[in-house]
Amino acid sequence: MIAFDHVGKRYGGRFEALSHLNFRVGRGEMVFLTGHSGAGKSSLLRLVMRLERPSRGRVIVAGHDIARLHASQVPFYRRQVGVVFQDHQLLFDRSIFHNVALPLEIQGTPPRETARRVRASLDKVGLLHRERALPVELSGGEQQRVGIARAVVSKPALLLADEPTGNLDPDLSADIMALFEDFNRIGTTVMIASHDLALISRLRHRILRLVDGRLVSDEGAAS
Amino acid sequence: MTQPRKSAATRRESPAASSPPPSPRTTATAASGPAAGSRLRAWGRHHAAMSLDSVRRLLRYPAGSLLTMLAIGIALVLPAGLWLTLSSARLLDAEVDDGATLTVYLEQHIAAAEAGRIREAVAAESNVEQTRLISADQGMTDFQQALGLEDALDGLEDNPLPASIVVTPAEASPERMEALAGRLGELAGVDEARVDLAWIERLRHLAELGQRITLALGALFGLGVLLVVGNTIRLAVESRRREIEVVMLIGATHAFVRRPFLYSGAWFGLGGGVLALGLLTLGRHWLAMPVQALAQSYGASFALPALGVGGSTILLSCSTLLGWLGAWVAVTRHLSSIKPG
Repeated sequence: MIAFDHVGKRYGGRFEALSHLNFRVGRGEMVFLTGHSGAGKSSLLRLVMRLERPSRGRVIVAGHDIARLHASQVPFYRRQVGVVFQDHQLLFDRSIFHNVALPLEIQGTPPRETARRVRASLDKVGLLHRERALPVELSGGEQQRVGIARAVVSKPALLLADEPTGNLDPDLSADIMALFEDFNRIGTTVMIASHDLALISRLRHRILRLVDGRLVSDEGAAS
Repeated sequence: MTQPRKSAATRRESPAASSPPPSPRTTATAASGPAAGSRLRAWGRHHAAMSLDSVRRLLRYPAGSLLTMLAIGIALVLPAGLWLTLSSARLLDAEVDDGATLTVYLEQHIAAAEAGRIREAVAAESNVEQTRLISADQGMTDFQQALGLEDALDGLEDNPLPASIVVTPAEASPERMEALAGRLGELAGVDEARVDLAWIERLRHLAELGQRITLALGALFGLGVLLVVGNTIRLAVESRRREIEVVMLIGATHAFVRRPFLYSGAWFGLGGGVLALGLLTLGRHWLAMPVQALAQSYGASFALPALGVGGSTILLSCSTLLGWLGAWVAVTRHLSSIKPG
């Protein structure tokens, strides 16, 4: 699903955020990306989301070198990648329902189909009863679950998450991770950046560890 | 340790994948068959939703929206009003063309029978459509009436005015009228044939001048409308910057992001056009009385022209288009500075 081929990323000419990255993530796999802050986790995810292009090497997603996508094709690529952000990136001027419906509205899904899928998605994260609420009326953990519902509502084959539990307490964090495992179980490829080593090592999935932009370890799942 | 892990890649391959793998190319270019139809419907739905949404946003800040529309309306009134005035001047112009005549003055003290013969000779010339003989006595009466001095001129013993023939030419172009006047001047018994072309020419030049001024003002004020709408939309984009960033993160195209703002711009333009129309109608009523009185004092009947259905449609279309264009320029310029993430 994802292949990094000698990928390097420089910012402003000198600072090398990522260097010589070589790894593959198979379809349906669940992978954690860890390392201290500034190790390059976010930069790596930004490359997969095609928010940035690598300075060197190639990033292949589902067989396409995504750096070579034309600017007009990038939106269509992004629609097929679900992304969960640490700060949710919810829109505060509209209800939970409309936040989750946003990707479907962008894709032009018919309203009835949209409503059905939004409710299914909200039901999955346990927030169906809050569909009319505004994001500010929700707790941090609930807001993050809305962010997840929005990321999966268009049934992406690839789900990315950047520190999805960054602001949550351990219990809530475990709940969120369990949600990701659920989506992985039905075939979605999941890649999660997290510095919470204690949490992710309990979950027994593959862990990629970054130090100063280099991949220093790639440990497979124990089970 | 950084080797690709093919084993892991295949081990977790799931046959129950919920959706096909991302294939940006096929999605981006698929536009045939039933997919194209449903995409067209989706496109139509989004247009309808955004046109309504932009109206709601305008209504949320009625005072601000009204001020923008008023600025557009005022900018449009001047060129539109000038254009109207000019078109009424052109009406006058047409009347002048219709009424273009030349006057053939006969020599003094020519007998009526002789005058009749000369008139026939004049009528026989080419490019003459109509002739009307005005005898010396008739000329005197007309003159007295025009001046309102009947009694004063009664004292004159001898009529100083010659008989004259008013000639309406078939074709009233300045060149042909000049030529006709030359020929008529040569006829026996004719003192002088005169065309007063100077003031017709002057009027033509004035009309040309007015036309150019209107065009220049129209262009300037059109640019003004673009700037007003552009600035309003720029602020709107700025206030929704976060929303734009988020929707671009999850795959919105530029067209999708632009759409609500284009509708806002078009509504601003349309609103401004309606206000301009209202101002024009108001101005017309306000000026009607003095214009009427002025026209009457010249013995003419002249009313300020209204814009009419055609003119109103043109004005509204132009203002809507200008609003749309202003929004397009503002959003497009601004979008390039917004990078998601």
